[in-house]
Amino acid sequence: MAVSKPDSGSHKQSQQPVFILHTYPFKETSLVVEMFSQEFGRIAAVAKGARRPLSAMRGMLQSFQQLAGTWSGKNELKTLHDLEWMTGLTLLRGDALMCGFYMNELLLRLLPRDDAHAQLFEYYAQTVQTLSTLQQMPDSQQLAQIMRRFELKMLQELGYAVPLTYDEHGEVIHANESYRFEADYGACAPSATRHGVLMQGSTLLDMARGDYSNVVTQAQSKQLMRYLLQHYLGEKPLHTRQLLVDLQGF
Amino acid sequence: MNSPAVLEQLISALRCLPGVGPKSSTRMAYHLLQRDRQGAQLLAASLQQALDKLAHCDYCNNFSEHAVCSVCQDTARDKTALCVVEMPTDLMMLENTRSYHGQYFVLMGKLSPMDGIGPKDIHLDKLLKRAQDGTVNEVILATNFTSEGEATAHYIGQMLKSRGIQVSRIARGLPMGGEIEYVDSGTLSTALLERKAVT
Repeated sequence: MAVSKPDSGSHKQSQQPVFILHTYPFKETSLVVEMFSQEFGRIAAVAKGARRPLSAMRGMLQSFQQLAGTWSGKNELKTLHDLEWMTGLTLLRGDALMCGFYMNELLLRLLPRDDAHAQLFEYYAQTVQTLSTLQQMPDSQQLAQIMRRFELKMLQELGYAVPLTYDEHGEVIHANESYRFEADYGACAPSATRHGVLMQGSTLLDMARGDYSNVVTQAQSKQLMRYLLQHYLGEKPLHTRQLLVDLQGF
Repeated sequence: MNSPAVLEQLISALRCLPGVGPKSSTRMAYHLLQRDRQGAQLLAASLQQALDKLAHCDYCNNFSEHAVCSVCQDTARDKTALCVVEMPTDLMMLENTRSYHGQYFVLMGKLSPMDGIGPKDIHLDKLLKRAQDGTVNEVILATNFTSEGEATAHYIGQMLKSRGIQVSRIARGLPMGGEIEYVDSGTLSTALLERKAVT
C-alpha cells in the first residue's frame, strides 16, 4: 500500500509573505530566486522552467512587490512551487528604483540565509511602499533620508550595535560635543586613533530620533553609514553604488 | 579510464555554452565526433568565420559583417526615429511587426545594478553620440519591462532629455486578443494605472 508522505517531511511552506531580492539563471530554463521572507528570512529557491516564454511564474517574479510564496525542501536550495500577488501594485521608478536595488544588494550581502528577521521585513515592506508613493522626480535629499533610516534599521535589526545616545563608557551623548564613532565600539573621544568617523553629538542624537532635517546631520549621517557599511561588508564594493558613480560620468 | 587529451579539451570547451554542464558537453562531443562529423566540420568553420568577420555596426551596434549594417544602410528607412533595444533578438521581433520603419540602437545588454553591469557595458557613450547626430529627433525606448529594463530606460531617458532630445517609452498593457479573465495581476494593474483617456 502506498503511504503518502506527511507534509512535515517535505518541509513545505505555503503562502508565505516574501519579496524577491534577486534572480539568476539556473540550468537551461530555470531560475534561482533569492527571496526575503517574513518568517524564514533570506531563502534561495529554484523556480523550475521560469525562463520558458510562457511560464506562469514569469509575470510574478517581480522585485519590490510583496508576494505569497510556496516552496518546499530541506536543503539550502529550496524548490519554489508558486508565487501569488498579495498587495496592490508597488511600482518603483527612476531613482527610487535604484534605491530599491541598493536595499536588495545590502540585504543579499548582509542577511544570513534562513535567519528570520520579521521586523526588518516589515520595515523593508514599509520602505518599498514609501518609495513607490514618491512622485516621479523626488529630490535626492528625500531619497537619501529614506535610505539612511533603512541602513540604520537594517544594521540594528541584524544585531550590529549602533549606539547613538550614549558613548563607549555609557555616558550620555551631548549635542554640542564632537565624537569619533568607531564600529563595534560606538562614540569615543575625538582624539587617539585614526579609526572611525568624526562627528557632532547632535548628529548622533538626530539619528536616534530619526530626524534628518539638519544639513550637518544629513552629511555626517551619510559618512557614518558609509563607514559602518564598509566595515561590515568588507572589501568587495557595492555594485549599485558604483553604478551610480559611473552614471554621473555621462 | 582516461580519455585522450584532445577529447577532454573539446568536452571542456563545449561547457562555455550557457546551460551546458559536464554531462551535456560529453554527450555533444561524442555526438559530433561519432554521428555527425560533417556537422562538426560546419560548426567549426562557421564559428571561426563568425569570429573573424563579425563586428559591431558603427551606427546601431548590432552584429554586422560590414562597418555599417544593412538596416542602417537602407535609405528608405526613417532617419529621424531611433529605437533603443536590449538585444538583437528584440530588434528582430520589432522588425517582424512590420510597423516600425526607423533606425535602431542595440545596447547588447541592460543596466543590471545587482550584477555590476553598468553604463560602460551597454555602450551608452556610443548611443549618446548616435542620438545626437542631428537628424534623430525622437528616441523610442523599447527595453524590457523588468526592473533592470526599467532602470535602463530611465537613465537613458534622463541622459537624452538633458541634451534636448525627445524621448518616449513603448506602452504596456493587455496583449492583442487578451482577455481580462486570463491576464496576470501585474499586467492588469499596470494597464489600469497607465490607462489613457478615450478620445
